[in-house]
Amino acid sequence: MSTRLRVAAFLAALVFPALSYGAEPAPAPTPKPAKDPADALAAVIDKHLAADWEARGLIPAETTDDAEFVRRVYLDIIGRAPKASEAREFIEDKSADKRAKLVDYLLKMPGHANYFAAVTRAQWLPQTTTNFQLAQFGGQFESYLRTQFRENAPVDQVVKRIVTVGITVNTQNPMFRFVQATGGDPEGQQIVGFYSANEGRPENVGSAVSRLFLGMKLECAQCHDHPFAPYTRDQFWQFAAFFAEMNPLNGARPGFVGPIQPQSDRNRIGVMGTDRKVTATFFDGSNPEWSLDKNPRQELATWLVDAKNPFFAKNMANRMWAHFFGIGIVDPVDEPGENNPASHPELLKDLGKTFAENGFDNQMLIRAITRSKAYQLTSKMTHPGQADARRFAKMSLKGLTPSQLFDTMVAATGFREPSYMRNQQNFGFVQPNNPRSQFLTRFASNERTTEANTTILQALMLMNGAFIGDQTDLAKSELLAAIVDRPGWDTKQRVTNLFLTAFARNPTPEELEKFTSYVDRGGAKNDKKLALADVFWVLLNSPEFLFNH
Amino acid sequence: MSKLNLDRRHLLRVGAVSTAVSMSGWMGELARATEEKKIKPKRSCILLWMNGGPSSIDLWDLKVGHENGGPYKEIEAAPDLKIGEHLPKLAKHGKNLAVLRGMSTKEGDHARGTYLMRTGQLPGFAGIQYPSIGSLISKELGDPKAELPNFISVAPQRFFSAEAFGPGFLGPVHAPLIVGDGQFNNNIPAANIDAVLKVADLDRPKAIDEMTAAARLDMLREMQEDFATKRPGAIAKSHAAAYDRAIRLMQSEGGKVFDLTTETDATRDKYGRNLFGQGCLLARRLVEKNVPFVEVTLGNWDTHGNNFDLVKNLCGTLDAAWSALMDDLKDRGLLETTTIVWAGEFGRTPKINQGKGRDHYPNAWSTVIAGGGVKGGQAAGKTSKDGTTVEERVTPTVDFLATVCSALGIDFEKQNMSNVGRPIRIVEKGAKPVAEVLA
Repeated sequence: MSTRLRVAAFLAALVFPALSYGAEPAPAPTPKPAKDPADALAAVIDKHLAADWEARGLIPAETTDDAEFVRRVYLDIIGRAPKASEAREFIEDKSADKRAKLVDYLLKMPGHANYFAAVTRAQWLPQTTTNFQLAQFGGQFESYLRTQFRENAPVDQVVKRIVTVGITVNTQNPMFRFVQATGGDPEGQQIVGFYSANEGRPENVGSAVSRLFLGMKLECAQCHDHPFAPYTRDQFWQFAAFFAEMNPLNGARPGFVGPIQPQSDRNRIGVMGTDRKVTATFFDGSNPEWSLDKNPRQELATWLVDAKNPFFAKNMANRMWAHFFGIGIVDPVDEPGENNPASHPELLKDLGKTFAENGFDNQMLIRAITRSKAYQLTSKMTHPGQADARRFAKMSLKGLTPSQLFDTMVAATGFREPSYMRNQQNFGFVQPNNPRSQFLTRFASNERTTEANTTILQALMLMNGAFIGDQTDLAKSELLAAIVDRPGWDTKQRVTNLFLTAFARNPTPEELEKFTSYVDRGGAKNDKKLALADVFWVLLNSPEFLFNH
Repeated sequence: MSKLNLDRRHLLRVGAVSTAVSMSGWMGELARATEEKKIKPKRSCILLWMNGGPSSIDLWDLKVGHENGGPYKEIEAAPDLKIGEHLPKLAKHGKNLAVLRGMSTKEGDHARGTYLMRTGQLPGFAGIQYPSIGSLISKELGDPKAELPNFISVAPQRFFSAEAFGPGFLGPVHAPLIVGDGQFNNNIPAANIDAVLKVADLDRPKAIDEMTAAARLDMLREMQEDFATKRPGAIAKSHAAAYDRAIRLMQSEGGKVFDLTTETDATRDKYGRNLFGQGCLLARRLVEKNVPFVEVTLGNWDTHGNNFDLVKNLCGTLDAAWSALMDDLKDRGLLETTTIVWAGEFGRTPKINQGKGRDHYPNAWSTVIAGGGVKGGQAAGKTSKDGTTVEERVTPTVDFLATVCSALGIDFEKQNMSNVGRPIRIVEKGAKPVAEVLA
């Protein structure tokens, strides 16, 4: 196919779904395994939640229609809303198992690995998204994560690899400890971004590992006993001591001839503000049987992902749950203690157990969650009892991350974004002619997604900013112009396509009537084309476009 | 009219009503009347943020005669206060300035120091998201329904720590409205300044006339209402509220406050035709409109080399803008209700390095607090002869922030609910304001 033809086909695919549908290579029919663990787990989720609703006399919301589902699942799995063609293709598909099939399809898209790597990096190393001095380390680590998500690497192995990677810490610069991989290991070179982003300090890495992989935020125990949970300052430092090799070694090295401990000082660390030193100890108070051939990090990794560890599987499953529902079964996901109990402890136990039994298969977990009844409930509230997000009796509204929002803008407007703009990261710098950079900066937020607030500047940007201005301008727009000028369509078809583009759904009869009559009247300027631009502007500024419902 | 008159009249009115109601009702009214008496006049804070770590030893705490002192001389700002010679105009306001010479903080890294000085907290990775002091103060002083936002940040250079400029767990409602975001340094061509110091996207695109805009907004409102009916909750509410406030700002007189061209040339020249100078002028205009917290950034303070030429030059910019600000606030009777704070992320080494520069130094340095609530004309705290250690009134970051809050009449021990579900004080427990500089 010539370049010109390919471009034409691309443009056509944006607007005319049939072409894209036909062009899709038919997947080879794969025989379904006798028992899909995802189906079994989805049934377990349904059972637990149904019992909870029943016990509380809660009436759950209705099941989503296809349009709400397709938009939600695109946003949650690949980080952008579907294009009009993608939405229509799904809505018009008549097969019974199309929802499960769509999830399978999205999990194979490159966008999935990219999006999950970005989201995970932002969650695991938030400092690299706000501190430009640390940003490069976040990028390094994100590359590693991208490969892992692409290959659906088991989470226990990923975590084990991160915790045990060979490191060399440069302690020469008192202001900053740069961490490199030992032995020219290219994958290790990406992983060490995790250590550098935590400034090569045992206490930082230790608290990150505890928070991320065990769901236990211990930072406040760094300086004093945890006020709301049974963790002491010594326990914090005992955990940090697993990373003590990052501190300059005092005394004889391990293996040195003589009656010294097998680890020498590699498993011991001073408690900040005291003269005491503590030895690496697990939370349950036990110690590894120290030996010369395993360093403390290796000991920790083995304990961390061991099937007997009650925290790891549940925490990792809960984080995945929180991604899809906007709120965890334990929430916040990393606050330990009795003050933050699980909303459905039995469900969480089963999630963790099944996740571990299936080899920590992320995609199995995603399939199970997205097949559950709760995930497939509408976000429309039909009963006041559904307002409590922690009962999962309707889908919570979720704010979009800045990248999700801009990628959705791109999908909805047909904006052809050059790669240098795509690669822009948000470090508080704004590139004046790069709309992605402007959106990332203006929409940066550290809120919980279910509590996303809109600011005045965001509203101004959406109403008056150059990007939406151009995309709703007949002369400069990409997709709008195609819809407005498409020969042979009546106003209703044009309005319908604008709805599909922005909301991934058809308009209701009332909406169709209202907007068609506005356009046929010629809008405010007695010009049907300009009136269509007004409709597009309204849709792009609507909450239905700006949030994940 | 004195407050007393107002109160007496109010009490008379209450008394007249009381004859018809029960005693307890009367007592209730009286209690409320007493409460009302306590209502303070509108208070504002202007933070002059010195990005890069200002060489406070050359401005506020000179070591003349010592080898660490450098070439600058001292001038008298008040009988008990001498400051650097390159702030002559500001020195005339010396009786309103209080220098905190005992600053001793914990971070000598730009990002971490910025976060510490602006939130009072060390950056704990992925822990609690602490609000910047602007968010904390504007939340206390501001009216949530005001036409203008309560926290306005003018041309910030946020690259060291974007978080240190954010609302943290207080949420975007308390985020600054940033004017002229994304600055790298102070050097904007004079001709571009007016464009930079405008609220981004405040004006409707030229192609869209009023009729069209009104038609669009009508349709949008219907979409918003429909969405909020089906999916009620905080997200839908916040979306509608932000659009309402944005539209009010576009249509109102309030939006005009950002148009500096309405000022005379003489006034604009007095502040200095540079980003910081015009930013200070904007700050004055915003405070006149009761905006409770405005910050203006002056950067380029990271003077590792050639410190003395660079600092002299920066002082020229600072002196003109800050003194003009003090003049104007005084003329308008606003100096008593506006507290001006000068600070950066840390000070600089007393020892002069081989490149005639000074490096990062958080151990002993100075900040300044002026105007409303401040007993000026003095320095609190004292550093050693060589400037390397604090000998009197060691002032950690939390004490500095508590001093600012106290000058503004804010209870700095008040608690806000945090993102981790537990209350957190405006300034951490144990903070002690520097009492001697409080009026």
